[in-house]
Amino acid sequence: MNLLVLTLVVPLVTAALGALGGSRRSRDAVLLAGLGLTFGLSVALAATLLGGTTPTAFGDALRVDALSALVVVLCGFVSLLSGIYAVGYLRRNDARGLVTPRMRREFYGLIPAYVFALLFVAVSNNIGLMWVAVELTTLASVFLVGFHNRDTSIEAAWKFLMLGSLGLGFALLGTILIYASGEGRLDETMAGLNWTHLMKAAPQFHPFTLRLGVVFALIGYGTKAGLAPMHTWKPDAYREAPSPAGVLMAVGMLNSAMYCLVRIHLISRAAIGPDFSSGLLLALGLLSVMVAVPFILLQWNLKRLLAYSSIEHAGIIAIGVGLGTPAGAFGAMLHMTYHSFAKPLAFFSAGTVAQLHRSSDLEVIGSGVLGRTPVSGSLLMLAAVMVTGSPPFGLFFSEMTILQAGFFGSHATEAALLLGALVVLFCGFSYQIGKLVLGPQVADPLRPVDQESVDLSMVANLAAASAAVVSAFYLPAPLLALIKAAAVVVAGGVK
Amino acid sequence: MTHNILVLCAAGMLVSAFLMVGQRALITTIRLYGAQSWALGVVAITMGLADGRPHLYITAALTIGLKGIFIPWFLVRVVDRVGIHREIEPFLNVPASLLTCLALTVVGYRVSAGFPVGTQLVAHHVIGVSLSMLLIGLFLMVTRKKAITQILALLTVENAIFLIALGITSGMPLVVELGFSFDIILAVLVLGIMVFRIVDRFESMDVSRLSKLKG
Repeated sequence: MNLLVLTLVVPLVTAALGALGGSRRSRDAVLLAGLGLTFGLSVALAATLLGGTTPTAFGDALRVDALSALVVVLCGFVSLLSGIYAVGYLRRNDARGLVTPRMRREFYGLIPAYVFALLFVAVSNNIGLMWVAVELTTLASVFLVGFHNRDTSIEAAWKFLMLGSLGLGFALLGTILIYASGEGRLDETMAGLNWTHLMKAAPQFHPFTLRLGVVFALIGYGTKAGLAPMHTWKPDAYREAPSPAGVLMAVGMLNSAMYCLVRIHLISRAAIGPDFSSGLLLALGLLSVMVAVPFILLQWNLKRLLAYSSIEHAGIIAIGVGLGTPAGAFGAMLHMTYHSFAKPLAFFSAGTVAQLHRSSDLEVIGSGVLGRTPVSGSLLMLAAVMVTGSPPFGLFFSEMTILQAGFFGSHATEAALLLGALVVLFCGFSYQIGKLVLGPQVADPLRPVDQESVDLSMVANLAAASAAVVSAFYLPAPLLALIKAAAVVVAGGVK
Repeated sequence: MTHNILVLCAAGMLVSAFLMVGQRALITTIRLYGAQSWALGVVAITMGLADGRPHLYITAALTIGLKGIFIPWFLVRVVDRVGIHREIEPFLNVPASLLTCLALTVVGYRVSAGFPVGTQLVAHHVIGVSLSMLLIGLFLMVTRKKAITQILALLTVENAIFLIALGITSGMPLVVELGFSFDIILAVLVLGIMVFRIVDRFESMDVSRLSKLKG
């Protein structure tokens, strides 16, 4: 079978087997084997591309270029880590008697299904299929958000579903308008919606229809990426989703939604020049970074804190793409990569801390986490250092690249605003996590605190930490080549 | 003849959207949505006949089968099982809502003039109606409190988008359209399950009670 198709089939089969049933052990084994195989296949896919052949399937409806390959590899990597963490996570909840058979079915079925949908987005060359795939990600993840079946998780799931569906309605309208702006010059078969085909025909598009389409599509996919002002589902969903699903949303969904935004941006750029969609992306990106500031400074919940950090990083990537220069594009792709390495660490350590304290509210957890859960506590501190973009870790370099691209390009004002916001965000996030982890021990925690134990969730956590640290000093040459190639695509160098 | 049918159906869809705004009984609102989907199906058939595009018949069959019959049937079942039949006082009262929607219709028609086909009579109406319906659907979504009404508002937006697609592209590629329909069905099923869970948990489907999460 085609390697590309196989990469999609494996998580789908894993999902089917997981939903079907079986003993706990066999389900764990299937989940880990399936996600491990998926990661292997995604690396093989990227290697094929770097080797010089472009993997395609179904007459170019699915096609892997450098941008797709980067998103696919990162998604495969995070999925595997998330799978390992998930097994440990569910076991601990199981030991507390919190897991019903329905939850088990949803967990083992929906996590691989979500991975499938995320990969499907990233390999779609056809923008119609891309929309279908994004809708599938929403439907696969909504029950993961509502997983714990508390009042608040139902609320989060409902808001997630309504806002997500509305955003996707806009994205659908945008897709239709972009197709319509071809005014009959496009193929009427499925190939007419292929991105590669649209890029060739773009210079003849009707500008008014295209502009309207681009606005709707960027807002629609921006909702899924969590760009302000359509970000409001994110804090709720991140707080309620179990951590292994949360990390898939924070990294996999963010990258895949960015993929969609870049594709639409490039069509617009080829049709009516770079200014229009670049301006929109810059505005949405800056707004996202700004919006995160007050909510991080005054946050009451650990996972919501991570959500606002994720909104910030989505904004930074959007700014990098919006700058439109090769340097900006390279910064954006580098940022996406380093973010994908740092965020799992943040989610896993915060998730374990929250699980051991039986709440993710900062007040309930109480300061002095380091004394109660030393391993997760110190990893959480390390994660905070990374995601705030401190040297010598990766996100520092990518943020610097984007800032430089802004200052030396024609966007000094935007870069200055970004720099200001980043400084405040650095202080706010470090303050919050620093207080939580390093603060004085609370004498009597509000809820009983469990001891840390060496299990698969800790293994995943340590693996994420090593990946994040090592990547700061050493990016494997093929990965760097992939990032550079992806940046060329994002900067509009590949037609 | 063709033109008359198209304008009639488009107008019918707009009227049904207005009636939905003025309606409080949930079952009637669902029926109105069903009627709106039938009108959309007729638009597709008429266009298919006029332009000789047979793949529009499949679009029409999908629209009538799924949105005209299956989704209304499913939602009526949800309402019956839940046992809540009336919308409570919306955030904005009915006369004010209707006036707002009138203004939205003017906006929709105004924007439709910018499209290249917008100058021709029929397309102008179809696009004008669909943009107005889109705005009315969004308006319904933010002002209503019951989960079912919000779903119907979302589906109205979806219908408006399909009408736009018919008006300006004479149909999307078939495979893609099948994908869209498949996703919409899945979405409605998921939404239905969510309604059950909300009612189960809160003993009401008043989504304005879902307001614990802030900051």
